[in-house]
Amino acid sequence: MSVTNIGQPESSHIHPPPDTFIKKYVFSLDHKVIAVQYFITGGLFFVLAGLLAELMRAQLMGPNNHVLSIATYNQAYSVHGSAMVWLVVIPLLTGGFGNLVMPLQIGARDVAFPWLNMISFWLFPPAGILLFASFLYGAPQAGWTEYPPFSVQMPFGTSMWCMAIFLIGVSATITGLNFLVTIVKMRAPGMTWTRTPLFVWATGVTAFLSMIATANLSAALAGLFIQREFGVPFYDVSRGGAPVLWQHVFWFYSHPAVYIMILPAFGIVSEVIPTFVRRPIFGYKAIAYSSATIGLLSFMVWAHHMFTSGLQHWEQFAFMVLTMLIAVPTGIKIFSWVASLWGGKIRLDSPLLFVFGFLSTFTFGGVTGILLASVPVDVHEHASYFVVAHLHYVLFGGSMFGIFAGMYYWWPKITGRLLDERLGKWHFWSMFVAFNATFLPMHWIGLHGMPRRVATYDPIYTSTNEFVSISAFVLGLSMLIFAYNALRSAKSGEVAGPNPWGGRTLEWMIPSPAPYYNFKEIPIVLSGPYDYGKPLPYANVDQELATVPVH
Amino acid sequence: MSDFEYEEVRRQRLLGFLFFLISDCVIFGDFIFSYLYLRNAAPVWPPLGIERPYLYLAAVNSVVLFGSGATMHFAMEAFRHSNRRLFVGLLLATIVLGSMFLGGQAYEYTHLHDTWAGSTFGASFFTLTGMHGFHVFIGVIFLITVLIQTLRGTYTPHRYFGLTAATLYWHFVDVIWVALFFLFYIY
Repeated sequence: MSVTNIGQPESSHIHPPPDTFIKKYVFSLDHKVIAVQYFITGGLFFVLAGLLAELMRAQLMGPNNHVLSIATYNQAYSVHGSAMVWLVVIPLLTGGFGNLVMPLQIGARDVAFPWLNMISFWLFPPAGILLFASFLYGAPQAGWTEYPPFSVQMPFGTSMWCMAIFLIGVSATITGLNFLVTIVKMRAPGMTWTRTPLFVWATGVTAFLSMIATANLSAALAGLFIQREFGVPFYDVSRGGAPVLWQHVFWFYSHPAVYIMILPAFGIVSEVIPTFVRRPIFGYKAIAYSSATIGLLSFMVWAHHMFTSGLQHWEQFAFMVLTMLIAVPTGIKIFSWVASLWGGKIRLDSPLLFVFGFLSTFTFGGVTGILLASVPVDVHEHASYFVVAHLHYVLFGGSMFGIFAGMYYWWPKITGRLLDERLGKWHFWSMFVAFNATFLPMHWIGLHGMPRRVATYDPIYTSTNEFVSISAFVLGLSMLIFAYNALRSAKSGEVAGPNPWGGRTLEWMIPSPAPYYNFKEIPIVLSGPYDYGKPLPYANVDQELATVPVH
Repeated sequence: MSDFEYEEVRRQRLLGFLFFLISDCVIFGDFIFSYLYLRNAAPVWPPLGIERPYLYLAAVNSVVLFGSGATMHFAMEAFRHSNRRLFVGLLLATIVLGSMFLGGQAYEYTHLHDTWAGSTFGASFFTLTGMHGFHVFIGVIFLITVLIQTLRGTYTPHRYFGLTAATLYWHFVDVIWVALFFLFYIY
């Protein structure tokens, strides 16, 4: 039995390349092309959702402002939140990075079900269009969480929101299924679980969450839709329904969802650190197993979003304890990453800068999360700007900085060119400073009583809100640096070789940009990744491409 | 692709299909949770003026559905023993019994006084049994497709994943019905 046939039957043979424009760039079955489609679409929605945020901040420049009406402001934050969660962060991390990197890192030619992968992507633009088109029919106004009874009473735009999120939910479920089968069944020969790159571990747990948790969202949305359109009384108190039922089912999805939004970013951090510090990652197994632990625990903490919804005391206590518990595996990762810096040769280029941005802001957000996990604190801070600050520190500071770290890191692999390093540093520092200037003061006004989701506020909060709004505009502008960098790189960026950063995972052992078949011959894995200073851990790779440059 | 190489593909497809069935179970689980939650929160159950559907009709219908599960099981056995005529016959029987189940459900729906939007009982009952009925309908379509593929000779003794998937799906639909029958007619 020849070694190269194990686990890689059909995909060992290289199929002929796609020939027409439609097959190459529109309805492509190639995971790398699909990834780029996700990046472009997700990037577009990031701009739209970001503009909504800037409009919100313009309204909040002063109390009783007239930039947006109250109803429009409500619609703005509802669509901003929904779009950022479902049309930006989740698609970019799963459909974007998961698709691009995971099959390369496991030595596969593609995912398990390429046709389903394509379907997953093509559900995405219609979902986004449906969500933004809801503005024409009265966009949802009850936040991205759309609690009944408010969400039941709103105009048709809320039903469009239900349909849009349902579509993107189906897309995410299919992607999760696809990725999990790929990771379980299609790793290269010799790639045991403990030789699998940490980004793949992260993507695997995320895929499991996507697959199992998202179904709950579909159920909740279906219930809301049929109540709105057909009068079916799930959440209608006057006919025996219960608004809290929505909260339970919605949060049973939405808490795992926040882990879907952060685990791939954790994976990106685990990849960038060894490469830019030129030493093995510290605590590989700790990071891998803690990802799985986080995945499991994420299903047990949902009601910490419901501490003020009338839960029994014992329920509040149980969820408080479990929520604090989930900080333990997360903390293990943070410590492992920091320990990975010890004794390394640190190369402070853009990817690592964004990782440091991630580590500082995400840790800070995690700490405020522990504060909010405590019921006595949350009862006061629920639905205040303290929560807004917390969520942006973990989602923007965490996920977004992670996304940019990954962009700078893997840009050369997909395009064959490097992003400009000076522009990258400008981007990082302006974004990091503006981010903290925008969201740090929110802790203060939150603790001092400013509620969230309000179009106006008590004048005592004015000066802080002004400062936050101006910082938010600068934050938005800092993104332009990245956009310019990207365009410039496409036109005249420095040509990257196969391995510009000196990485040791499989994606760096093939040319940049990657050929459609990924690997001429499926590699054989001989030891774990990240083993700097040791012999190359793969056989069957092109020796010319596999030379890891020494700095 | 040789039969040896196909084995790996078959395993990937099987795992993918099982994952799909699990995620489908989660959706049913959510609505079952909703039913139990609303039932527990209600001061009186069934809600005032609502009568529970009759056990007798549903029991007969259940026997029909479980019978179709049995015929499907034996159809697979016949296929594995290369008994093509028995396989086709049992597959047809499964399709007929499945359709009879749907007919029975339609009869029950039209003879119930409660409506979908009428009460929390109606909300739970019609949503769950409706979802289940929809799944049975898709299942019948799936089985008809398998029948057509069989008559066209698509399946070989070593390559018949479509048939495996249809069988798993049909048994899944059966298992969900066990839960729903218990929840709405017994409990």
